Amino acid sequence: MNDRTTAPPVLDVRDITVRFAGLTALDTVSFTVVPGSVHAIIGPNGAGKSTCFNVLSGLYRPASGTVRLGDTELTRLAPHRIAALGVARTFQNIVTTEGTVADNLMLGRHILSRAGFTASALRLPSAVREQREHLARAREIAELVGLGPHFDSPVALLSYGDRKRVEFARALCLEPSVLLLDEPVAGMNAAERARTAETIRAVRAELGLSVVLVEHDMGLVMRLADEVTVLDFGRVIAHGTPDEVRRDPEVLRAYLGTEATGEDAA
Amino acid sequence: MSELLRRYRAWTVLLVVLLCALPFYLDAFWLRIGLFSMAAAVGAVGLGLLSGTAGQLSLGHAFFLAVGAYGYVWLAGEPGPGLPPAVAVVLAVLLAGAAGGLFSPVAGRVRGIYLGVATLALVFLGHHVLLTADSITGGFNGRSVPPLELGGFTFTASDPELTLLGVPFGAEERLWYLSLALFALTWFTARGLRRGRPGRALVALRDSETAAAVMGVHVARYRSAAFVVSSMYAGLAGVMLALAFRRVVPDYFSLALSVDYLAMIVIGGLGSVAGATAGAVFVTALPLLMTRYADQLPLVAAPGTTDGAVGPTEAARYLYGAAIVLILLFAPDGLHGLVRRTRARIHRRRSAPKDADPATETHPPASAVRAKEPTP
Repeated sequence: MNDRTTAPPVLDVRDITVRFAGLTALDTVSFTVVPGSVHAIIGPNGAGKSTCFNVLSGLYRPASGTVRLGDTELTRLAPHRIAALGVARTFQNIVTTEGTVADNLMLGRHILSRAGFTASALRLPSAVREQREHLARAREIAELVGLGPHFDSPVALLSYGDRKRVEFARALCLEPSVLLLDEPVAGMNAAERARTAETIRAVRAELGLSVVLVEHDMGLVMRLADEVTVLDFGRVIAHGTPDEVRRDPEVLRAYLGTEATGEDAA
Repeated sequence: MSELLRRYRAWTVLLVVLLCALPFYLDAFWLRIGLFSMAAAVGAVGLGLLSGTAGQLSLGHAFFLAVGAYGYVWLAGEPGPGLPPAVAVVLAVLLAGAAGGLFSPVAGRVRGIYLGVATLALVFLGHHVLLTADSITGGFNGRSVPPLELGGFTFTASDPELTLLGVPFGAEERLWYLSLALFALTWFTARGLRRGRPGRALVALRDSETAAAVMGVHVARYRSAAFVVSSMYAGLAGVMLALAFRRVVPDYFSLALSVDYLAMIVIGGLGSVAGATAGAVFVTALPLLMTRYADQLPLVAAPGTTDGAVGPTEAARYLYGAAIVLILLFAPDGLHGLVRRTRARIHRRRSAPKDADPATETHPPASAVRAKEPTP
């Protein structure tokens, strides 16, 4: 299924600081995503998790600090260049485009295909063939995440959970080496959550990619993550395996304000 | 699906045969309406790609129509290089594209309605240049259009004389087939663009710039490219209009013309090639028909008389103004969306007992008014 033989490169975030007019959204944040691992970023609302994703995908430029993917510095690159390097993401609020599931997934194939304005306008054989090949792969990915039956349905008619899945599948269509998932199960019911968790596990195993996960659902984080970084008010307050983080007093204080029994905080 | 496709093909063939047969039955007046409609349709399809597909408003379409029309006249005429007219057509289209490209520093950065304001300047600039650059444009009186000639065949009343099945082939009949061919080319290419990789990238840009960017779409480049492509279609429409009018004058290429084109794509339905065509025919044919039949219509004065009633051109404007209001209120996805929903309803009623596949039935309306994109 996957033709990538080498392991994905290391994603190394060093001392990232982001300020919005006096407010420091991220304060010297550092973490390293080990190739092929699931790395969760957790923290209370407003801790800077989404800001962190926006830096990683090139939407925000940090005031200082570096993000490296292998040997490539990402912080100076435009979002489309970062996407071309194999970093794909989903959004916390669903952002799909008009058209069918197939149209959305084919957008994910954008950087992997070549057909320009002239070739598409004249429907040159190369463009037609390319479109057919990518459509076949997009269908495979739709099957993988459980969207197979909806492949030709308009996205606007799908349920909330299915639209979340469209975003997930669209990101997978980039054949990324690093996948950034911003709250992939927010707003889903228990069955949908379990299914999405299973899919994340499956794609990680099958495609061998690194996953960076922002999520409030602690159960999901604890089950999926290899490593967890905890943010609070823009700072890293804890880092480690799920078990280490769960027992960390700083984390409990950030989530609950006082000493607590280690129940799920979300 | 294949049955649907076959039926679609059959309809297309029937339509093409009908359009090809029309010059044998219609007189020059109706053919001229057809010529103007087809030219407008080419321009509207171009604007539809920019405004409907890419979500960029342009009020400068008249400028690019003028570049195409005057470009052809100058390149093929005297004074001018006097190139073979067929070459001049191609170069005029490229010239309009180049003019769009020169504007790309703006077109690539400025978004949506702001681009509309920025392109407003182009119309006034263009109009001023057309009036003052006498040696090239002929000033206020404009220039006559050199006839098109393809391999010894001239698109005029004679040279060579031509009579087919007892019908003398004058300029209108000949230009009809030329326009039909150019319109078919427009239809083919615009659909290819919309359904291909560039079209998906442009739709993504329109619906969410951030999503497009993180999916690897070079935002500025695709915005500029949409503008250039739209300008090229406008240039081609300009050439077709020039050939049909046989004279180009600056006053035709005014802001009102840009607004007409916007009206066409709104009436037809944003982002659809068929809709843009329907809108173009409506907006173009209406004033011409009302002028012709003014004496038979209530409340409309015959042209040239001043007996208190509304002139046919004004009446046509009122009518299509009303059409825009009605469409925005009751069918924001235009004629195209209206047809699609009606067809879906008929289909549903026919197959009501069976539980039909929802995917082929309902389409969400592609609204002309779009919600603001949420920030990530």
